[in-house]
Amino acid sequence: MPSLDTFTLIALTLARGAWTAAQVAAGAALIAAGLGLLLALLVVFVRHRVLQWAIAAYIEWMRNVPALAHLFVLYFGLASVGVRLSPLTAAIVGLGLVGAAILCDVFAAGLRCLHAGQREAALAVGLTPAQTLRSVLLPQMLRVTLPSLGNYASQLVKDTSIASAIAAPEVMFYARNLVTSTFETPLIYLTAMLLYAAMVLPISWAFTRLERNAARGAR
Amino acid sequence: MNAFLATYAEYWADWWPRLMDAARVTAELSAIGFAIAIVLGALLVWMLRSGLSALRRTAQGFIELLRAVPLLALLLAIYFVLPSVGVTLSGYWAGAIGLGVHGSAYVAEILRGGLQSVHGGQREAGLAVGLTPRRVFLHVTLPQALRVMLPPLLNSYVALLKDSSLCALIATNELMLAAKAISSEYFLPLHIFMLVGLLYFAIAFPLSMLSRWMERRMAQGRRTVGAA
Repeated sequence: MPSLDTFTLIALTLARGAWTAAQVAAGAALIAAGLGLLLALLVVFVRHRVLQWAIAAYIEWMRNVPALAHLFVLYFGLASVGVRLSPLTAAIVGLGLVGAAILCDVFAAGLRCLHAGQREAALAVGLTPAQTLRSVLLPQMLRVTLPSLGNYASQLVKDTSIASAIAAPEVMFYARNLVTSTFETPLIYLTAMLLYAAMVLPISWAFTRLERNAARGAR
Repeated sequence: MNAFLATYAEYWADWWPRLMDAARVTAELSAIGFAIAIVLGALLVWMLRSGLSALRRTAQGFIELLRAVPLLALLLAIYFVLPSVGVTLSGYWAGAIGLGVHGSAYVAEILRGGLQSVHGGQREAGLAVGLTPRRVFLHVTLPQALRVMLPPLLNSYVALLKDSSLCALIATNELMLAAKAISSEYFLPLHIFMLVGLLYFAIAFPLSMLSRWMERRMAQGRRTVGAA
């Protein structure tokens, strides 16, 4: 039976990792949402053959190669040609770029399922294209994409664990360190798993709630 | 750019055989993992559809928990924690089992959704013409459900294939670990990891396209109410 001190050490250290994981997830989500939305707008509204092809190639590359390979290219690969990213930056950028490909698909599908009349009507009553987008199209798109966004968010939090492979100090990284210093293997991995569940489950519950709230306004 | 490609030409004879050996391990790992995921997923669906609420709740809880835990945590737990209760697995089998258990939660959702998509009248009609429940399932419900299940199942295989790269972190000698080993010998990480990315892509991309094609194809044959 581990002493109380050991248990406190494990809990505190893993909690520190959870904080890093939260930062990675937040940073990656920001990049993913921003770049994903930009790409989706280009895909849906700009009819340019080369541009469409380039975005499709980006999306397929990001989605059909393991995230671990992307992180290794960014962290080890770029360092070898003189671009040194910190583990944290590489993890945020890597997961963010992968996320942008996923969210671009989600947002584009969401935009396409809106009725064309929505845009035409908004323009007809004198809204500028930017206003149309911000106050008419995007809110409706957000509502239909909520379930996919929720899946993405919980997947992202779990994927931060991969960042331990490039020595970003998150939960699994500290877990492995703790194992070599305390040998409390089962306790450490069990706590780590519960910690992830404690981060992921509230997110999926929150999104379920959001969906229910958003559905109330839908006709 | 030319210098970059010339490096590949220079080391190709050393790298390619090693990568191909490792790729075979990746293929096996993902195939065994997927087989486990299908069997376990089917078991979970059977539990979800059973009359016993205890079985249903167990399966539901199991699925929800699995979906909240990262694969890497599961792999490390299987590899490092099970030995303390007397079960020691090699990285290969820990990886295959971890991939299978993790995948089963996703496969179960797909199978359940597929079975649900078949109209209840199909089953009733089958029973009414005198088929046994077993035959109704095998010859009426399942064939129609497969149409809905196959494309997402293919997608979940692609996900599992990509996830198998995490087995490198429990010392399974698959593609990613081989890549890491080569990159630390030749100090050419950018070349190696791009090449390995391309290898994954070469398998995953055609399968993703096939899944999308199947989805379109299967949607075509389905007659819906109102469409003649």
